[in-house]
Amino acid sequence: MNDTRKSGAVSAAFKYVLLCAVFLLFAGPLAWMLSTMMKTKAETYKAPPALLPESFNFEAFERLFSIQPLMWTWIRNSFAISILVALGAVVSSSIVAYGFSRFLTKYRDRLFPIVLITLMIPPSIMMIPSYVLFAKLGWIDTWLPLIVPAWLGGAYYIFLFRQFFLTIPQELDEATYLDGGNRWTVYARVIMPLSKPIIITTVIFAFVNSWLDFLGPFLYIKNSALFTLSVGLQLLIGQTSQDFPALAAGAFISIIPIGLLYFFAQRYIVEGVVLTGSKG
Amino acid sequence: MNSLRKYDTALFFLFIMPWIIGFIAFFLIPFGTSIFYAFTDAKLPGAVHYDFVGFDNFVHMAKDPIFTKSLFNTLYFVVLGVPVVTAGMLLLAMLLNLDVKGIAVFRTFYYLPTLVPIVATVIIWRLVFNSEFGILNAVLGFFGAGKTDWLGGEHTIKPVIILLQVWISGSGVLIFLAALKNVPRHLYEAAEIDGADRIRRFFAITLPMISPSILFVVIIQTMYNFQMFTEALLLSKGGPNYASYTFVYNIYKSSFTDLKFSMAMSQSIFLFAVIALVTFVLMKLSNRFVYYEGEK
Repeated sequence: MNDTRKSGAVSAAFKYVLLCAVFLLFAGPLAWMLSTMMKTKAETYKAPPALLPESFNFEAFERLFSIQPLMWTWIRNSFAISILVALGAVVSSSIVAYGFSRFLTKYRDRLFPIVLITLMIPPSIMMIPSYVLFAKLGWIDTWLPLIVPAWLGGAYYIFLFRQFFLTIPQELDEATYLDGGNRWTVYARVIMPLSKPIIITTVIFAFVNSWLDFLGPFLYIKNSALFTLSVGLQLLIGQTSQDFPALAAGAFISIIPIGLLYFFAQRYIVEGVVLTGSKG
Repeated sequence: MNSLRKYDTALFFLFIMPWIIGFIAFFLIPFGTSIFYAFTDAKLPGAVHYDFVGFDNFVHMAKDPIFTKSLFNTLYFVVLGVPVVTAGMLLLAMLLNLDVKGIAVFRTFYYLPTLVPIVATVIIWRLVFNSEFGILNAVLGFFGAGKTDWLGGEHTIKPVIILLQVWISGSGVLIFLAALKNVPRHLYEAAEIDGADRIRRFFAITLPMISPSILFVVIIQTMYNFQMFTEALLLSKGGPNYASYTFVYNIYKSSFTDLKFSMAMSQSIFLFAVIALVTFVLMKLSNRFVYYEGEK
């Protein structure tokens, strides 16, 4: 009796040791970023380095914004693009998904598999062909290559919306038709108001993905005034590769919006990821 | 009735019009033109003068020693990286699935690195892995190890990138966690009564029950690692001495540095064919190993 209790305690302790190791692996580098950004430049050149800054100071942020006066512009650009992308994803994907879930036509079952197939196309093979297209359209050095595709229905979001719409009973549609409603009223007045969870998931997902996107803005935008924060930080690395606290401060700023989103809306992010996996 | 049906079909196309436009404009047209240009010697995206050169681009591509090197590096990330990252995800998911107090705190943190923009991730990794002032060498030094130039070493850069992938593997962990939660408890209880130990239970119950998720994660990760680029570009610029120079890096260089767009198109098509083939083989092979509930 006593033995099993003791071995239980030992195995519990062992579990916590393992979990703490994992915790260190994941949170450690982030903590190191926090520590570095509060150090002075001189402190970061000490070997071996100190774990914590001697005092908490935020000079790095002042330096960051004076080395790179465009920081505010980049932050604003990133917000503007991500918000426009999130809006576009919800509006266009929900309309298309409504088409794919509520119309009885043979074309529906022929076209929907194509939507799913495009999900499987590796994006990097489209990198150069798309660049050529955008160059011909005169879209290089504008935000259009980042925003317009989002307003034309993303395959993944169409899939998410359609799955959700299929769970809404058709009787509600029919009742609306009896009251004199048409297809659009059903979409706008019945289906969408019932779809808040999936709308929130899509908004968050599209915003986060746009915020995290590096390759798109990196390839299509050369004018630094139009950069997103990610591409701006890349420029900053080139400018001041030895100012570790300023770089850490820049990294920290680029994490804040999504970090906050994660802590307040963790449920929706988790749901979105798990939905992707369960379809496989 | 018939006219109503027609009217409805027209409405259907109206509703899915955004997708149709996007599919044609941003998928069919670029994909079609890239196949066309792959067999020409066009240099710039807007080139007016170009000749058809048949399979010349593909022949030149195969002769380039840098191409061979990039192929080797990419295969390294696929053959070695995918199993390591997938095993890492599964291990983490099993740890986070443990039934202990305070597990929610641990579960909050593992996903955070996945949400860090890749440039910020690279900044953080440079701070951690810096050979002089980084925390990693300091910790290892405490245990008596010498200084390692992680990011500047030809033999260390690829493992460091794979480790970075594990650090940002939250989505895969999440998928495995969900799968582990769906394994019926009574199976474990029955096995325990039959005297199966932990390892036996893992191989006889857990692994088969979550095999669909494993297949999904392996396929996604394989596709991703075939396309490995951003990490290598930002962390080590393909170096040192081409040690992290991948296939997509080669595509990027062909077009934006060498200004040979037709060559980049040929390389893209080659990559597409390889990924399609490998994915197909993975799916075929998996029929033998993957267990779907409700199937005989």
